Amino acid sequence: MCASVKYNIRGPALIPRMKIKHRIYYITLFSVVLLGLIATGVFQFWPHSIESSNDWSVEKRSVRDVPVVRLPADSPIPERGDLSCRMHTCFDVYRCGFNPKNKIKVFIYSLKKYVDDSGVPVSNTISREYNELLTAISDSDYYTDDITRACLFVPSIDVLNQNTLRIKETAQALAQLSRWDRGTNHLLFNMLPGGPPDYNTALDVPRDSPRRYFLLSSQMALHPEYREELGALQAKHGESVLVLDKCTNLSEDVLSVRKRCHEHQVFDYPQVLQEATFCVVLRGARLGQAVLSDVLRAGCVPVVIADSYILPFSEVLDWKRASVVVPEEKMADVYSILQSIPQRQIEEMQRQARWFWEAYFQSIKAIALATLQIINDRIYPYAAISYEEWNDPPTVKWGSVSNPLFLPLIPPQSQGFTAIVLTYDRVESLFRVITEVSKVPSLSKLLVVWNNQNKSPPEESLWPKIRVPLKVVRTAENKLSNRFFPYDEIETEAVLAIDDDIIMLTSDELQFGYEVWREFPDRLVGYPGRLHLWDHEMSKWKYESEWTNEVSMVLTGAAFYHKYFNYLYTYKMPGDIKNWVDAHMNCEDIAMNFLVANVTGKAVIKVTPRKKFKCPECTAIDGLSLDQTHMVERSECINKFASVFGTMPLKVVEHRADPVLYKDDFPEKLKSFPNIGSL
Amino acid sequence: MQSCRRKSLWLALLASWLLGLLGILPLLRLAVPTGPRAGAPQGWPRWLDAELLQSFLQPGELPEDAPQLRRAPRGGSCDWGACFDTSKCRSGGFKVFVYPAAEPTSEMQHKILASIEGSRYHTVSPTEACLHLLTLDAPAGACSLVPPKWNGGKNHLVLRLHPASCSGTFQLGWAMVAEASPTVDTFRPGFDVALPLLPEAHPVRGGAPGQLRQHSPHPGAALLALAEERGGWRVAATDSSACPWDGHCEQDHGPEQTHPGAALPNATFCLIPGRRADALRFLQALQPSLGAALLRGYRLDQGGHCSRQEAPTAGAGCPPGDAPHAGPRPASADPVSVGHLLLLSGEGHPYRPREPAFLLQIIQDRILGASAHPSLLWNSPPGALLALPTFSTSPLDFPFYYLQQGSRPAGRFSALIWVGATGQPPLKLIQAVAGSQHCAQILVLWSNDKPPPPSWPETAVPLLVIEGHRKVSARFFPHSAISTDAILSLDAHSSLSTSEVDFAFVVWQSFPERMVGFLTWSHFWDEAQGRWGYTAERVNEFSMVLTSAAFYHRYYHTLFTHSLPKALRRLAEAAPHCVDVLMNFLVAAATKLPPIKVPSGRRHEDASPPRVPGDLGPAARDCIDRVAAGFGHMPLVSSRLRLDPVLFKDPVSVLRKKYRGLEKP
Repeated sequence: MCASVKYNIRGPALIPRMKIKHRIYYITLFSVVLLGLIATGVFQFWPHSIESSNDWSVEKRSVRDVPVVRLPADSPIPERGDLSCRMHTCFDVYRCGFNPKNKIKVFIYSLKKYVDDSGVPVSNTISREYNELLTAISDSDYYTDDITRACLFVPSIDVLNQNTLRIKETAQALAQLSRWDRGTNHLLFNMLPGGPPDYNTALDVPRDSPRRYFLLSSQMALHPEYREELGALQAKHGESVLVLDKCTNLSEDVLSVRKRCHEHQVFDYPQVLQEATFCVVLRGARLGQAVLSDVLRAGCVPVVIADSYILPFSEVLDWKRASVVVPEEKMADVYSILQSIPQRQIEEMQRQARWFWEAYFQSIKAIALATLQIINDRIYPYAAISYEEWNDPPTVKWGSVSNPLFLPLIPPQSQGFTAIVLTYDRVESLFRVITEVSKVPSLSKLLVVWNNQNKSPPEESLWPKIRVPLKVVRTAENKLSNRFFPYDEIETEAVLAIDDDIIMLTSDELQFGYEVWREFPDRLVGYPGRLHLWDHEMSKWKYESEWTNEVSMVLTGAAFYHKYFNYLYTYKMPGDIKNWVDAHMNCEDIAMNFLVANVTGKAVIKVTPRKKFKCPECTAIDGLSLDQTHMVERSECINKFASVFGTMPLKVVEHRADPVLYKDDFPEKLKSFPNIGSL
Repeated sequence: MQSCRRKSLWLALLASWLLGLLGILPLLRLAVPTGPRAGAPQGWPRWLDAELLQSFLQPGELPEDAPQLRRAPRGGSCDWGACFDTSKCRSGGFKVFVYPAAEPTSEMQHKILASIEGSRYHTVSPTEACLHLLTLDAPAGACSLVPPKWNGGKNHLVLRLHPASCSGTFQLGWAMVAEASPTVDTFRPGFDVALPLLPEAHPVRGGAPGQLRQHSPHPGAALLALAEERGGWRVAATDSSACPWDGHCEQDHGPEQTHPGAALPNATFCLIPGRRADALRFLQALQPSLGAALLRGYRLDQGGHCSRQEAPTAGAGCPPGDAPHAGPRPASADPVSVGHLLLLSGEGHPYRPREPAFLLQIIQDRILGASAHPSLLWNSPPGALLALPTFSTSPLDFPFYYLQQGSRPAGRFSALIWVGATGQPPLKLIQAVAGSQHCAQILVLWSNDKPPPPSWPETAVPLLVIEGHRKVSARFFPHSAISTDAILSLDAHSSLSTSEVDFAFVVWQSFPERMVGFLTWSHFWDEAQGRWGYTAERVNEFSMVLTSAAFYHRYYHTLFTHSLPKALRRLAEAAPHCVDVLMNFLVAAATKLPPIKVPSGRRHEDASPPRVPGDLGPAARDCIDRVAAGFGHMPLVSSRLRLDPVLFKDPVSVLRKKYRGLEKP
């Protein structure tokens, strides 16, 4: 305060003596200095205080210092797990009502150390893996620290390894959790043991060289009966089968976990797994075997011989694609069963096995997130991840499409189509378009999207009288995307998007376009076709509207499409494309072409021969220059969209659709669509 | 003046420093919270000693466990490995023996048995069979006989179309049970097979296509239809707010309540309670392909094949009285996806007709083990019954899955020229075809009494003559010499230009699952005679293309040779003209789409007399009707369009056009 007073006192005395220029100079200087000081102040003090408080809070947080909870010997024991539990009987979905993004909310109880009456700890407070697992959950989108909003609860009591647990006391500890309620909506992780954690990184490099052994067994503790059968297999098939066992003659300092032996030959484990095409996973004391994880990692195809073993995440992972399950009874035939698998399928399985490992098993984090995702899928089945997303390796996922309109259906002609005319204020031309389109037999409704907020549409009496319902929708903003909004008024599956200046299409042409759409209901079916080309000099995409032999886009100034794409355009358009289009007032048609091609993987269908269109591209007020800027803008759109989609989804084709008898030597009056292609 | 200015500068600096220190600092102090900021989630703490924590597995404790004894197979909990002997099926092929029904059987049972007896799996010798089929649908009291060769039920499949008929009369032991709507209590996953409960009028072969004609739900459709106890349907409110998340649905005894036995109302989802009597409704709901929301207690999947998170299971497991989970649809929920999965089950196969066939296919898949159908083949059109695992187990080899697999057809084709009894060596045709840049090889199927000429024209591609096939159906034999996916099927009489071949092949690459041809026929229903007919007169639409010049995928050769029922194969031998019709039926039944016509520059009528309409004798005319009867329905679909090159007959310079050869008048 004092400073500013001083300034105020000195200020007026100073100013009259200076020229105006200087005064401005000083005021500017002072304000700059002042601002600079404030900024430095902020930078100096703000982060420091945060950091120090952070340090201070973490300082206290060591696992050894967590609060101790004493469990009285007579504290309640929870009921035994109900084996008949199903998702709908033992899980309360109504706790998951808070779901902003169709994601369950997971709460983690804070860490406590449980001791019994005599002060002896119930278990190891927390293991490294469980800590990693909880950290992964806490870092994910699922986490919430608000217990009232959570639908899934994860106790911080570590039960990963049953062998180290004191069962009764752990159960008591679980029972006293604040929301335990017989374990409803609680998730316990009881992990199948993973291999020794310190792998050789060389393993991470996938190998392509042929594998030496066809079938390998690397488990150490096997029942003698199994070992006998494996031995018989080896005797029968010789070199291609390798059965390994524990090493007996190793010196003390070698870690026996990392070695396997066959007679006197010593092999490094798990590296040896990379040498085999198939690796046996046999039943042990527990069904789940650590070796499965090692085998997957080595890209060896697991041969699971353990009846009634539920493979991990089998609810969502298609293990048929990555493993061979052989009944224990058929163990003797395993070699011939495997021999009958074609080489191509084996390679596929190897890739799949490795992909499963990378995606779902390679870290505690991956396992935790996959588990939560499965539970999430059960709770929000309509937002669940698809089979393809779970199972297809990224290479397939990138190239493949799962067309939402995949069924080979030909919609009935009787339904007709809804024409949507986007207009601003060209009333005269609009009325002509309405009159022309209304002549098309299959038109069932006409929707005018009035994009002009400053002007009301003409009075009802002025509109042309047509035989189908005509509705005018007034929009709130003049945006191009209004053309593709899924209006409730659209009752038919087919939509004809048409500009208010497209008056040159004949009724035959429009009707034929609709017929073509019925045969290709998952494609854009349009009249003027365009092409995208790769410009080698500029190394980017270029828009082309010349007479070409190919076509990859159709203009939506006149195009039929399924109304589902309206929904996709409005709600599922990737990236900022929708806003970009509205901001530039251009390229909504290119965006639609990208969207449809990307989701269906199919090309557009151009119908009927080329004719002179009165379109923005051709009506240019002063021809060439405007035309050229237009082309540049459109090329920019293509490049922008390709970068947002991450790929070029447009498909180039060399065909267009014409009526069967188009230009054939046949009496015109016998043709269904005679009036096609007239200029 | 100068010093004064400097002075004022210093003063100002000092002043601002003071201001900065005294004014801002306390404010900052206030602004900085002392602890972690409230509001943001705290998360799991980062322990200082996280690195020092012990692993849950002690180093001394080996990951390997103590060995365990093998479980003895028990009758009660049979699984595939223990209770089924596959050795016979491997050595002798998959043969099915059907016990003759002792008692008068139901209509449905009769149809199913007849269908199996007509299939390629059937055998009359019980010793040769790998699977013994026994039906248990006789009225109670008449089914106590244990059949001969029962052998504890091993390798037996007991078919029980109606729940609980003949239950408990004798121990089923190791026999598999294919039962309509079994319950989870008795179902042995991976061993038993769940069937849908069929209405008596269910067609055995073919069957009508689903009633669904639309990809997306109609905007006016109700959200939920509930199956009523007496056989009717009740439509619940369209308004999703009736089923809020945290409570039960408000009991809305909506205005509409249909009569018992009435057709399904127009609704997006349909709720079928877990009563046995309502199992029939499941199929009813699938036909128009609604999303079915089931209440618990059902096995839905057919032997575990339809295991994707499909619509039938979308709502499975609601507590009774609640709406299905899908009820409160978020505003942006994908409106078509749910319906679609359903369609597949409705259209594709599992729930549709051909029940005996898919039942056997499921069991054959188990025998094949690793080389069985991948689930993609079961779950996407055309379904596992039309994607033969004997052809390939890789989806990439079939014409149907290119897009799903992110691949595209290769850019080469094999020309297959059939030279019939009157044919001359098609020298001109060979030159025209060999001129195509996409041609990989030419195979001449010489089926003529005269020996083939010793010398053939010099071509850029390998030319191979295959002799000795007399039957017309041999032209669709999957010759091992065919090295490409695409086949151009030709007759010695066909005349094509290189331009036409090139363009047709490029079109085929866009539609690899369809036939792409030049000359067309269309089918029609002959009201006067009450049967199907077909005509080659050029009309405005078509539904078949002639195989005398057509591109298609080589998989259709396998399908033609190995999947056609015996009766249809005999028909093909008897009436040579019929092979065209048969092939078109086969492809249309698999794709449910029309073939594609491309322009032919020449007047083919003049060039190919034997295949022209007027000459069709009565046997040939009859052909389509008999094929339709054999298929059980009419799969052909009509098209009204032809695919032309983009600049076809456009008023531009011919030099701009890529396929100039097509422009000749």
